[in-house]
Amino acid sequence: MSKKFSTTSGVPRISVKRRTALIAVLFIIAGSLTYPGPANWLIDQTNNALRTHFGHIDKPFVLGLDLQGGTRLEYEADVSHVSSDKQSAALDGVRDVIERRVNAMGVSEPLVQTARAGAAWRVSVELAGIKDINQAIKMIGETPILEFKEQNNEPARTLTADEKKKIADSAVDAKAKAQAMLADIQKDSSKFEGLVKAATTTSGIVPNPAGSDLGFIKDNSQYQNIYAAAKDAKAGTVLPAVIEGADADYVVKVVDTKAAGQEIQARHILIQWAGASNAPTSTTRTKAEALAKIQDIKKQLTDKNFTDLAKKYSEEPGANITGGDLGWFAKGAMVQAFEDKAFALAKGQISDPVETQFGYHLIFKEDERASQDVHVMVMGFKKIIESDILPPQDAWKTTDLTGKQLQSAAVEFDPRTGVPEVSLQFNDEGAKLFADITKRNVGKPVAIFLDNQPISVPTVQTEILGGKAVITGNFSIAESKLLAQRLQAGALPVPIKLIAQQSVGPILGAASVSASLKAGLWGLLLVSLFMLFFYRLPGLISIGALGMYTFISLAIFKLLPVTLSLSGIAGFVLSVGMAVDANVLIFERLKEELKLGKPYALAMEEAFKRAWLSIRDGNATSLISCFVLYWFTSSVIKGFALTLAIGVLVSMFTAITITRNLMRFFFTPAVVEKFGWLLFVPRKPAVEETNKPS
Amino acid sequence: MNIIKYRWVWYLLSIVMVGGSMLAVLILGFKEGIDFAGGSMVVLRFSGERPTPLQVEPVLAPLKLGEIVIQPVGDADLSIRTQALDEETHQKFLAAFKEKYPDMAELSFDSIGPVIGQELRSKSLFALAIVFIAILIYIAYAFRKVSVPIASWKYGVITALTAFHDVAVPIGVFAILGRLHGTEIGTSFVAAILTVMGFSIHDTIVVLDRVRENLGKTSGIFEDIVNRSLNQTIIRSVNTTVATLLALIAVYLFGGATVHDFSLTLIIGIAVGAYSSIFISAPLLVTFHRFALKRRQK
Repeated sequence: MSKKFSTTSGVPRISVKRRTALIAVLFIIAGSLTYPGPANWLIDQTNNALRTHFGHIDKPFVLGLDLQGGTRLEYEADVSHVSSDKQSAALDGVRDVIERRVNAMGVSEPLVQTARAGAAWRVSVELAGIKDINQAIKMIGETPILEFKEQNNEPARTLTADEKKKIADSAVDAKAKAQAMLADIQKDSSKFEGLVKAATTTSGIVPNPAGSDLGFIKDNSQYQNIYAAAKDAKAGTVLPAVIEGADADYVVKVVDTKAAGQEIQARHILIQWAGASNAPTSTTRTKAEALAKIQDIKKQLTDKNFTDLAKKYSEEPGANITGGDLGWFAKGAMVQAFEDKAFALAKGQISDPVETQFGYHLIFKEDERASQDVHVMVMGFKKIIESDILPPQDAWKTTDLTGKQLQSAAVEFDPRTGVPEVSLQFNDEGAKLFADITKRNVGKPVAIFLDNQPISVPTVQTEILGGKAVITGNFSIAESKLLAQRLQAGALPVPIKLIAQQSVGPILGAASVSASLKAGLWGLLLVSLFMLFFYRLPGLISIGALGMYTFISLAIFKLLPVTLSLSGIAGFVLSVGMAVDANVLIFERLKEELKLGKPYALAMEEAFKRAWLSIRDGNATSLISCFVLYWFTSSVIKGFALTLAIGVLVSMFTAITITRNLMRFFFTPAVVEKFGWLLFVPRKPAVEETNKPS
Repeated sequence: MNIIKYRWVWYLLSIVMVGGSMLAVLILGFKEGIDFAGGSMVVLRFSGERPTPLQVEPVLAPLKLGEIVIQPVGDADLSIRTQALDEETHQKFLAAFKEKYPDMAELSFDSIGPVIGQELRSKSLFALAIVFIAILIYIAYAFRKVSVPIASWKYGVITALTAFHDVAVPIGVFAILGRLHGTEIGTSFVAAILTVMGFSIHDTIVVLDRVRENLGKTSGIFEDIVNRSLNQTIIRSVNTTVATLLALIAVYLFGGATVHDFSLTLIIGIAVGAYSSIFISAPLLVTFHRFALKRRQK
């Protein structure tokens, strides 16, 4: 008898077992994806025990704006001035511009989508967790501005007579003030610090009192004039004259001095050989000849005629004027061999030939002294200078050529090198302007500005006629695409208008997450209890199938990923009802088949077979609704349709395939015999009914 | 249980329900939500004491927003519906509240321009029509092999009639709710209606499918076969509906205010759908059959 039961199902026991094992594996995978806690614990244990480095399962749900809080903005793009075949590209450009603008605000993962709504084009922007939506709207709404600029070579405007007078007056005024102050201080130099402090409130004093202590200034070229005047002064003295600076006149007090080594004053004569550093190509003599020549000069030299002979023989450029004068220099200013020799000489002595990379030198040390560094405090009296009236000029000058005259921009490839480049096509007006600009700027850079940022600064090779230009550079294909898109976006006047806005605050988002979680769990619980109550052991199996359904659906939501919104979760919960429906259909059918007196295994297979048609037709109509909802409606409902459709498809699998297999696995003839009352087996075999003619 | 015998009772009940709904829609009309009519909806939460709508009106008066509808939601929230606000006005709006009620927080803000409203409305109607037609085509296809004793297109017509029936009732209920509680209909209502339609047809198909099956393998009086089929599927219909309703009731009770109306529409529609698939669809099959017989006899 029992043998007969198992064969009627038509499926060997071993393959039932195999499928059940497969279901168990699927359960573990889907379960771990949905709720990774236990799996991650296991991975940690494995990693610890085997010193492996498996990563954690970490795939979050993607939450919609209504659950995580955020703003959705919908714009209408005005494409009335764009020919229809270019609208799509223009919209891509708009999307790119918006993305860049939103990214610049630091919003994480903005979602910018374009869509066609009849004749109109829509751009929707989703900003998760944004704070200042007002600013975002302002930034997004601007139409991108494309400009061509050329280098600004125009001389600065000259000063007017009035302005010149103003500058001269202020110089006189500053000098007078400084001199008055100096006269005052000279009576008692210890008053200096006090007066500097007192001057805090007086305008026109530079630097401000806190900065009036300049420290040691030897290496600070900004205060060259002051150093030159102060370097020999003693600590504690106020310089006897007002020092003129570039933009102020200074009263200077030397606070401190310190020794800064020796300085020497020297002249030299240089004889080069072919190949020496800086030697002109006309030099033909060899190194030996150079040495012979300089030794020859040395024989004629005295401290009296050194300057004259230097003018005559030295091959240093300009030596015929300077007579080889090097001025005062400290250690570190000359090449090492030269410096060593020069510092080693006694005052008034002439050296033997010294070899450096530049050639052979004869050095005449004229003087030697100790140098010092000075620590100064200053009181500066500001005077008006030219740059105060005429601000420094912009490096780039705006031209008349803007995005308005750009007809199109596209990615092209250099036919010889295959390097991607961006080609620009101007309209007639733009072509004329562009020809003028390029003619003016051959060999010079022209800058392309987008939203006031230079995005490309190509150098003009020749005058360009015909209004077609190419931007080359080290672009990757992606970069040149992006650039073309940006240019296209900048070039096409596609204003956008905000037509809808939806914002969900973080409070509501968090509340909605917990509410829908609660609703989902309650839904599953109520449905499970109902199934258990009505269908006993098969009910229990269907609860198992429902668990599988939940895990698989959620795993799919994570993997695709499906953006979960409130309506999406409602769709999911609703499909729980559909998942159960398939099982209800099957179990009811099973009861009927059993009433006809069929053996359990056969009745089970029959029930699945006959219920399938109803399940298929029912779910097909639901799927039709889902598809229509998904294609024809707005985003809120799309989420609902998508989760419902996924739920319906998954439920067909779990409620039929999984339930059937689990029933085959668990409801063996032995189990049926023992627990028949839990499995709808009628108490009395209904032999009469089966014998009825049908 | 002889459902077929009392079919005129069920017809009458349904005529009352559907007729009442249609009257409600015709007389009362709908309150359209902002996604259809355009406008702005702000939901505010007050952690202190919630002001009454009357207290709130003077706060907004200086902004000159025109007609404003203020409704309390839940325990601590207020929903305020105005004409479509631009972001600047929206910020002024919030600032005005923040000044008077510092413990106020904005839960959500929706603003729909009139263009979008129009578009959503026509899109929704379009979607309804498409679903309807697509499902009819599917049914005619699925039932194409059974044309004796009833032509397969009649199954389609019956399914369409019950679908209309099931959709009409929640629509009527919302027309009444709109008058009583200011309940609004919008895109989510349309989605719920479309889902009800899918469910209703699903339900009807299961019943008709059983009739189809029994017609193929048993013989006897048409009414008896239909009635037997009904009795075979009634427990399934009830149980499925109860299970689905349990899931929906969980959403209604715990899912939060945002999906309240949505789940309510589904609950009404699915309950009515279960009723119509048992008490209307199969009896209609009998009525159709009789009508055809009479015509043939003439």
